[in-house]
Amino acid sequence: MAEMVKLFVNGQEVEVESGKNLIDALKVVGIEIPHFCYHPALGADGNCRMCLVGIEDGRPPIVPACKTPVQAGMKVLLDAEHIKKIQHDVLEFELINHPIDCPVCDQAGECSLQDYYMKYSLDDSRMRVDQVAKAKRMDFGCGVVHDQERCVLCARCVRFTRQITKTGELGIVNRTDAARVTIFPGRPLNNRYALNIVDLCPVGAMTSQDFRFRQRVWFLKKDASICHGCSRGCNIYIDHHREKYKDDIIYRFRPRTNLLVNGYFICDAGRLSYKEENENRQVTSLIEGRQAPFDETIAAIRQKLDQARKPLILISPDCSLEQMWAVRRVSTLYGASLSGFSDAYVKAGDGDDFLINDDKAANRRGLELLGIKTDRKSFIEALQKTDLFVNFNNDLHFSGVDEEIDALLGTVQSIAVCSHQRDVFKTASIILPIASYSEYGGTIINQDYVLQAFAKAVVKNEAGKDMLEVTRLLGGAVIDARHAWPGIRKSVACLADVDPAAIPAEGIKLQTGEDANVGA
Amino acid sequence: MEVKILSAKFGIENAHLLEVAKQHGAYQTLDKLFSMTPEQVIDEVKNSGLRGRGGAGFPAGVKWSFLPKGLDKPVYLTVNSDESEPATFKDRHILVKDPHMLIEGIIICCYAIGCHHAYIYIRGEYTTQVRALQRAIDEAYEAGYLGETVAGHEFQLDVTVHRGAGAYICGEETALLESIEGKKGQPRSKPPFPAVVGLYDSPTIINNVQTIASLPYIIWEGADAYKQYGTERSPGTHLFGISGHVNKPGMYELPLGLPLLEVIDTVAGGVWKGRSLKGVIPGGSSTPVLTPEEVKTVTLDYESMAAHKTMFGSGGIVVLDETVDIVELVKNLIDFYHHESCGQCTPCREGLGWMLKIVEKILAGNGSVADIDLLRELCDNIEMKTVCVLSAACTMPVRSYLNKFRHEFEAYVADTAS
Repeated sequence: MAEMVKLFVNGQEVEVESGKNLIDALKVVGIEIPHFCYHPALGADGNCRMCLVGIEDGRPPIVPACKTPVQAGMKVLLDAEHIKKIQHDVLEFELINHPIDCPVCDQAGECSLQDYYMKYSLDDSRMRVDQVAKAKRMDFGCGVVHDQERCVLCARCVRFTRQITKTGELGIVNRTDAARVTIFPGRPLNNRYALNIVDLCPVGAMTSQDFRFRQRVWFLKKDASICHGCSRGCNIYIDHHREKYKDDIIYRFRPRTNLLVNGYFICDAGRLSYKEENENRQVTSLIEGRQAPFDETIAAIRQKLDQARKPLILISPDCSLEQMWAVRRVSTLYGASLSGFSDAYVKAGDGDDFLINDDKAANRRGLELLGIKTDRKSFIEALQKTDLFVNFNNDLHFSGVDEEIDALLGTVQSIAVCSHQRDVFKTASIILPIASYSEYGGTIINQDYVLQAFAKAVVKNEAGKDMLEVTRLLGGAVIDARHAWPGIRKSVACLADVDPAAIPAEGIKLQTGEDANVGA
Repeated sequence: MEVKILSAKFGIENAHLLEVAKQHGAYQTLDKLFSMTPEQVIDEVKNSGLRGRGGAGFPAGVKWSFLPKGLDKPVYLTVNSDESEPATFKDRHILVKDPHMLIEGIIICCYAIGCHHAYIYIRGEYTTQVRALQRAIDEAYEAGYLGETVAGHEFQLDVTVHRGAGAYICGEETALLESIEGKKGQPRSKPPFPAVVGLYDSPTIINNVQTIASLPYIIWEGADAYKQYGTERSPGTHLFGISGHVNKPGMYELPLGLPLLEVIDTVAGGVWKGRSLKGVIPGGSSTPVLTPEEVKTVTLDYESMAAHKTMFGSGGIVVLDETVDIVELVKNLIDFYHHESCGQCTPCREGLGWMLKIVEKILAGNGSVADIDLLRELCDNIEMKTVCVLSAACTMPVRSYLNKFRHEFEAYVADTAS
């Protein structure tokens, strides 16, 4: 716990964390200081002047809050008339050359300019001379579209490409009100995190080619979740919406701050992976290519499992800990071999030193901790011996066809319990649709052993069942995610004290030793 | 009235050459300098009362004493030779006519503050000046006044000339540092001040050319001799650039404290063409204008200027005769500062352009009284809300014209009404 200091805001005593600037420190106690250019990930620049606050008896008496560290006994003035006037005046300057095209602007509803205008101004424009004309709809690359007229020159985007991605594609050229953000000629944005610029932009100057004009943001339901795109487990918001008479559709993923995992950002691939939750989904149950009722399909799977001499169950490394536990129990029930083989999910060399990992599996640590084998040798041996292969959503073709495994699969009867239509599931004689991760809740453990919980966000019209529910219908003992935990706790030492309902928002960094990795 | 302290060698042919300059005393202070301790040098400069000649008038010796002690970092001296304030033309004379005086001053300052690498930031437009300066530096290196030792004394000193690209804002000391570092010339937020975190994150002293050039006289003749000139609180002499509607415009070295009207009438030959005086810009375009009434009582020193609610500034005096259209003047003024705004802070970036368009509207005969009031209000809304004082350099004089010559603005508006 950081040291606390007491200071005064508008005469009111507050206690805040030392070592922070006024914006961050006061935000924690619910006091907002308006600002455009400051961002905790990018530091204080001090150019927008929106965060100017008064310091009673201070020298100087007016300071930018972003560059002012909290000090014990400091007397901060926020609602004094002269400070309110500054906020009002700075906002007026931001707006005089702004196109005020909110009705057609994608940012409307989540725009600092709009919000601050409602809060600090509400005045009519006094601008009776020509506005400065600048360029619009500039393609900056990586799906980022720039409107120079809406820009407030806060330079967050520029600082992002310099400080975070260190690619430096953006700059501000020209002086005075001719200043504008731009790319170098012929050198567009070229990094794997570029779309974070759209989130960073406090106004509508940076919009996403992918998202723009597709949905007004105030219709979107914003649910917290975890990206399953790789083993980082970046925290995200799933922004989704069900239009009347239509299905619940995800429109975008946005980063959710978690300093323990992903900081303030996510990669573009993860951000755009929302499309996979919408598209190409397995929605119908199939027996030998024939559409069959769900119950009949379950019964057919049970029958096959009962009849099989040596079934082999393969589980996806993207599954939640609870699902893995439930599938493990089912495999025991039917005397099946269980594998979490998922070498295909590792794309060697694809990762970087920021957020993207080589391993595209969301919960490989879960497999390891539950003692589920993932090695190729034992999987192939089991595949050679089996007479029934049941695949719980593991995309063996994630990195393309695997001839050795495909040859073996061709000789054995197979069942696919899957969320998506994929090549590898096509050959299955029975296909059962299940929910994908935006449609169920659970816990996963990222590469760095951070245990994180996520909740169900999306409810589809043709809702596939949670894999865990499927295991129950197959005779498994786990009724729901909560009921998986007594067994998990017993089985995995480092999870012994975890209460799944009490996992904090930033997750739990697990203490793993040599012995923590032993399955029961 | 004129004196010859800084300009002592200005009239001597080829005094910019080391050989000639040396015959007239250049570098004579060095033996004395190195017999003193750096603290003694700082004390002498403090005692002389020498104030920064860039415009702000901060006591030079006091500024030097702000340098933190015992840091494991180099100390830099940066000589501000940007001379970009409109109506200012004093440093260019030093650079061309007596560059060795500047180099000698640099040696004195560097010895006092413990700096071994000085930069001279010179505006890009000064092509003749940069050639003269670089030639003098080359001569000084060759003659052993710069380099591994200074005139045989155990003191290493290098001097680098850095040319700007012509931005006014690079005369602001922290924008100047950014520019030397190869970045876009935009002022830094203060604190930290350059004396603590300056060039390349190191303690840095930034002084104007004329300030540094005043040092050889102070060290050679002593602080008391320097204080013989000027007033008690504004001691010494200053290079004044007198321009505008006078009979004898030019650069004159004068002691501080002289009555402005007397200087205009005697030194500069009075207002030209027998016309009457409308006003005087006392120290560069950013200083608030003085009315003929105020000109009668003001003297050329920091205190009297402040008492008249203006500033001493850079010594660039502009005399305005009765024919000057103040609204046109204000348009020209805002046009300049708008063009030179670095574009960093919102109020300056957006506000100065707005002000310019309002004045243009008034000039075109499309303005109203409300526009004049808005212009006046915008001065308040912009001023002191920004990282640096560029915006104030525009709004302070504009406010003075609006207050003192409002009738001229109203005349344009009244024309519209009729």
